[in-house]
Parts: sequence; C-alpha cells; structure tokens
Amino acid sequence: MAARPGAWLQGKAIRRTQALSSSANTRSSTPQVVSTSSTIFGGGVREADGSERIAEYFSMDDKCPVCESERYLNPKLRLLVSSCYHKMHATLYGPTISCIDTKFTLGPAPCPICGKILRKLAFMHQTFEDLTVEREIAIRRRISKDFNKRRDDFPDLKSYNDYLEWVEEITFNLLNDIDVPQTEARIAEYKKENSNLIELNHQREHAYLRALREQEEYERKEKEQRAFELRKAEEEEREEQEQNKRSIIAKLETSDKDPTKIIAKAKKANALKLANARAASALRSNADVLRSRAAQSFDVPDVPHVPLQDDYYAYDDMFKLKEGPYNDFFSDAVRKDREGIMRGGGYMIEEAWERAIRFAVAGLDIPPLRGLDDPQHKLDISGDVIMA
Amino acid sequence: MASSTNAPTTTKNVSGNTAKPKIPLYEAATQFRNWRFSVDGLAKLRASMNQVAVDAIRKKIEADQPGSSETVSFLTPNEEVLLVKLYLTKITQLCTMFRFPEEIEATATSYLKRFYLRNTVMDWHPKNVMLTALFLATKTCNFPISLETYTKHIPRTQPSDVLDLEFLVAQSLSFEFTVWHAHRALWGIWLDVQSLPDAPVQLQPDLYNAALGHVRASRLTDAEFIYTPSQIALAAFSMEVPEIATRWAESKNSEEHKINLTLSEEIKSLILADGKPPNVDAVREADRRLKLCKNPEKVPGSKAFLAKKAEEEREAAEKRNKKAAQVQQALNDGDPFGNDVDKPRNGLVDYDDDDDD
Repeated sequence: MAARPGAWLQGKAIRRTQALSSSANTRSSTPQVVSTSSTIFGGGVREADGSERIAEYFSMDDKCPVCESERYLNPKLRLLVSSCYHKMHATLYGPTISCIDTKFTLGPAPCPICGKILRKLAFMHQTFEDLTVEREIAIRRRISKDFNKRRDDFPDLKSYNDYLEWVEEITFNLLNDIDVPQTEARIAEYKKENSNLIELNHQREHAYLRALREQEEYERKEKEQRAFELRKAEEEEREEQEQNKRSIIAKLETSDKDPTKIIAKAKKANALKLANARAASALRSNADVLRSRAAQSFDVPDVPHVPLQDDYYAYDDMFKLKEGPYNDFFSDAVRKDREGIMRGGGYMIEEAWERAIRFAVAGLDIPPLRGLDDPQHKLDISGDVIMA
Repeated sequence: MASSTNAPTTTKNVSGNTAKPKIPLYEAATQFRNWRFSVDGLAKLRASMNQVAVDAIRKKIEADQPGSSETVSFLTPNEEVLLVKLYLTKITQLCTMFRFPEEIEATATSYLKRFYLRNTVMDWHPKNVMLTALFLATKTCNFPISLETYTKHIPRTQPSDVLDLEFLVAQSLSFEFTVWHAHRALWGIWLDVQSLPDAPVQLQPDLYNAALGHVRASRLTDAEFIYTPSQIALAAFSMEVPEIATRWAESKNSEEHKINLTLSEEIKSLILADGKPPNVDAVREADRRLKLCKNPEKVPGSKAFLAKKAEEEREAAEKRNKKAAQVQQALNDGDPFGNDVDKPRNGLVDYDDDDDD
C-alpha cells in the first residue's frame, strides 16, 4: 500500500489516503483526527475553526471489539460509540458489513458487551481518545441545557456561587455514578420548579447568539463596502489621471505657450486635487471607524488600580499642579528636545515638577529642635562610631 | 503616589480597620530621624566628640613618648568645623571641574558634614574623606564615573586614597545615602508661585539664580541639620523676593500646617553669618597644628600605628594558633572528622540512615 518513493517525480497522483497510511505505518500508534460530516450521528465536538464539521478520533490501532476487524486489514474501518460508551464498527461504505448494521438494522437490540438495549441512531462519533471525556462532555451538555441560570438571576455573588457548586455536585454524581436515582430526582425537581426561568434563559441565549451573528454580518458587509469604495476611488483616480494626460496633450497640440510651463501648471493643479480628495476620504473613514467602535464598546466601569498602598502622607493637599506647562527656564532643554533623547526611558517633566513642588512643601511646618533634647551618638574610646 | 490621600488626620488605612495616622514623607526619611539637631545639640555633640578624641590621642602620644603631649595644642571644635568648611568649598571646585550636576555637589557636601558629626578631623583628615564622599555621591546619585577617571583628574591622588575610606564613610553615614536637598525645594517654590491666585509677573531667571546662590551658601552652614530643606529654600527665596515668598508661605499656611515665618529670618541671618568660605590663613594655621595632633594610630609609619598593627597581628595569630590546636587535637584522637561515626549502632536496623546527614 505504501507509496513508492519517487512516485511524485513521475507525475503520478498520490492519493491522500495512501500517503496517510504509509506515514502511519512507521508510527502506527500516532492518533490522528479526521473530519466527517455530522449529519447522521450525534456527539463529538465542533472543530475550533468554526466550521460545521466534527473532529473524529482515528488511530491506526483501532479494532472493533465485537468482530475483531482491525484497521490494518481494513483501512476504511470506522468505529462509533454507543450510548453505553462501547465502540462498535460501522463501515458505511465498501464491501464489509458492519457490526452495527448486522445487529441493529432490525430494531433495538442489546449491546453485545454490556447488554444495554441500543438503537442504531444512538451511536455517535468519537472525538477524544478517552471515552470518559466523551461521556463527560455529553453529561455536561445535558446539565448545562437545564441549569442555565445566570448571575443576574441571583441577588448576590455568594448565592450564585452556591448555585454553581450545587450544579457541579450534581454533575459529579452523574459522572461517577453516585446516587444516580436521587440525583435524577433532584434534576427533575429543579426542572419542574424553574421551567419558566429555564425557558427564559434559553430565549436570552438565542437572542444573544442572533445579535452576535448580526453584528458579524454587519461588520463583514461594512468591510466589503469599504473595499468596494476603495476600488472605486482607485478606478476614478486612474481615470482622472488619464483624462489629465489627454488634456495636457490636447493643450500642447493647440496652444503655443511654453510646453514645460503647461505641464508644470497641470501637475500642480492635479496634485492639489489629489491631496484634497485623499484628506476628505481619510477623514471620513476615520470618523466611521471611531463611530463603529463607540457603538461596540460596552461601558464597563473599572475600579481605579492603586499600585502602592502605604502609610505615607505625600503632602497632596498642600499643592496642586498647574494645568498646562510651567514657565520654567530650568527644564527648557529637556522640554524642547525634539528628538526626545533627553526624555529617553520615559522621563516626564510633569513628574519632575511634582517632585520638586512636593519637596517645596515637605516639612515646611516642622519647628526646629531647641535646646539639648536630641539623641546622643555613642562613641568608643578612640572616637570611632559604634554601629548599632 | 496615591492621589486619594488627604490630610493625615482624616485618611483611613485602606487595608486594615484601624485608622492609623499617616507619616509625612519627610518625617519618615532618615534625614529627619537621624540627622536633625538643635543648635546647642550640635555644639555639644562636637565638643564631646572633640574631648573624646583629644583624650584618646593624648593617651596614645603618651604611650609613644611619655611627657610629649604637654606641648601639643589640640584643635578646638570650632577649628575642626573651619577645616571641614574649607574642604566643602573644594567639593564645589571639583564639581565644577568634572561638570557634576548640582545634586552630586549637594549630596557630597552633606556626606562630608555628616561624616564629621560622627568622626573628628584629628582622626581622619578631611582631604581624603572629601574625595571619598564625592566619589560616593556620584554613585548614590546615579551618575557613576570610573575610579581611574576620577583620580586621574585630581593631582596627587591614588585610587587607594579614595577606596580605603569608602567603607568607613558609608558606615559613618549609617548607609543613609538619601539626602533631601534645598535646591530641589527651591525649584519647587519657583514653580509653585506660578500657581498663586494672582500669579506674580514673570520672574526673571536671574532671581532664581540669585536664590540658588543663597541655597549654595547655606551648604557651608549647619542649616541642613537644624531646618528642613523647604524652610531653607523658602528663606533663600525670600532673600530675593520677600513679598512673593511671604505670600506663597501664607497660601500654604493652614490649620494642619502652621508655618512659622520667623524661621526664614533665622535662616537668613545664619546664611549671611556663616555662608562664606573660611579665612584661608586661619585654616592654614589650624592645618599646621593638625599635623602635630593627629591620631598617631591613623598615621601610617608612626610608632602608635605600628603598635596597633602589631596588636592586631598578635590577636589574629592567637586565633589561628587556637584553631590549629583544635585540629591537631582532633587528629590525635583519631578521625579528623570526629569519632562519632565509629560508635556501635544501637540496634540491628539503623532507622536514622538517611543520606542527608
């Protein structure tokens, strides 16, 4: 089955599946993910790129636990997972008859492994190598469908967190098969009590998704519109230049003035026109962008961050920095430095001013010491300082 | 700085439940805590230090050559201050030569003055201490230059002259290198008078430079030990434009901050009296006498110096011998690492058999 080395040199098409199996022969245990459509079977997780396809788990070691057929012999082998989380093989095409077809075509039948009654349509894709992950996702999906309360539905954060913890407890019980009947009873009770709210939150969710989609659609259209306008403007510009050229040539033909002068004049007029048009368009697009951004942004009040909290008083009530610059010849060189070399590293003259003024008011009111009430410094016999 | 701070009495501690009064920044500084004196306190400190040094040196000289201390005339505290003041002016000259910023000059000046509040001129001559203080100031003011460049430009100076004293100076300053300077406060006043409600007509740079001259003169005095930098700056400012200075000070006066305007007069008279370079002849006379009354232990080559060296040597040798004897004793007993290892085990299984010990 392996592609002959050099086949691509002879211009032969190498089929993707062949390349896949040949590379997989060398490292047969490498798990791979192939994508299939999700039209028939449930389960699985959407791919991250936002497409509708579902990633399906796929490995060279796959083996149907019921009929023992392996991928090595049957590369088209496809395993599906039952609702009791047992794998079974379902070749949807090709000559082999699949286990699922043989067992479940005639209606519900017991699982050959655990004996639970299964239906053909209840088989799902496998996305993850570990089937417990698959199961957890299914359970969480089911729980989140009903337990969809939001933070707004609670009076305070504490009760919301309690609710989240309670939901997590139920999920945990279901996942680990602890007190399943009681848990199911709790779920049913909750559903009955909160059916109105659940329905409301569903609608809210739908509305939110719809708004999101509309927003995306609007942005896409706007982008298209902008691109179209840009193209149109370029087209017009080109045409105009063509026109100018033609008019210059016509003038040169008809008039008897100095040709260089005519050309210079025409060029000057042209440049002016171009500059005006550009400025107008730039202005408009900037304004548009700003407007759309303002429409999008949510007004989230943010608590101001105080990086340093200490017990120091910095004389803030004793001075107030002047609005606008000070008349200060002392810092002229720094402020007039056009290259900004002197302000390298983020030097801000306002901070230097603030520090200076803080120094000017610091300790203005401290009376000097009088008399002999100051601490004596200890000295040893040789007159040297004794360090504390 | 947190912009939400208010007057110290009203602000609450954010983290705790107790409303602790806040410490004003200047009062938290080492300059306020450890380098603030009264006029009398300064005089007493200098006198007592001088007395201690004189007694110690007299004893040393007697030990060197009995009866020889009778003729020595020791320096008085005032003469010491005079000598230090001369070297303060030398710092200014060096800073001009090296084109150091004002900050370094002011810092080095403070270091030299502070050093001689904990040491005496008779122990350490200010010439080398001055060089070390300036070099230390270049480092603490974030304006470092290499030691080679520094000593190359100062005649008859070796790198060792600067480095030998560096730790001593740092130690004498208690490693409190941050100094609050009056010239920065002066700049602040110069800026802040522009915020006065009826802002005065534009002040000329000459006025600022003249006021800065008074601040520089104040560095030759004890002002920085007695008054706060802002008070000195205000006094210097009011020596040039008294009415604007008074108006500014009054605008800062409030219930919480009572500003005593008479302090400015005190500082003014102090600057006018002391803020000039010393009389060179008087200093030369003091320096001549200092050669005779220096602490001999700190003059390399003298008998007392050698005696102290020998004493230190002897102590070090004693220590070494003691250690050697201990090692020898251990060797004689058997294992140099002790005999504990050979002790018989208590049981069949050694429960303490981990590799850590």
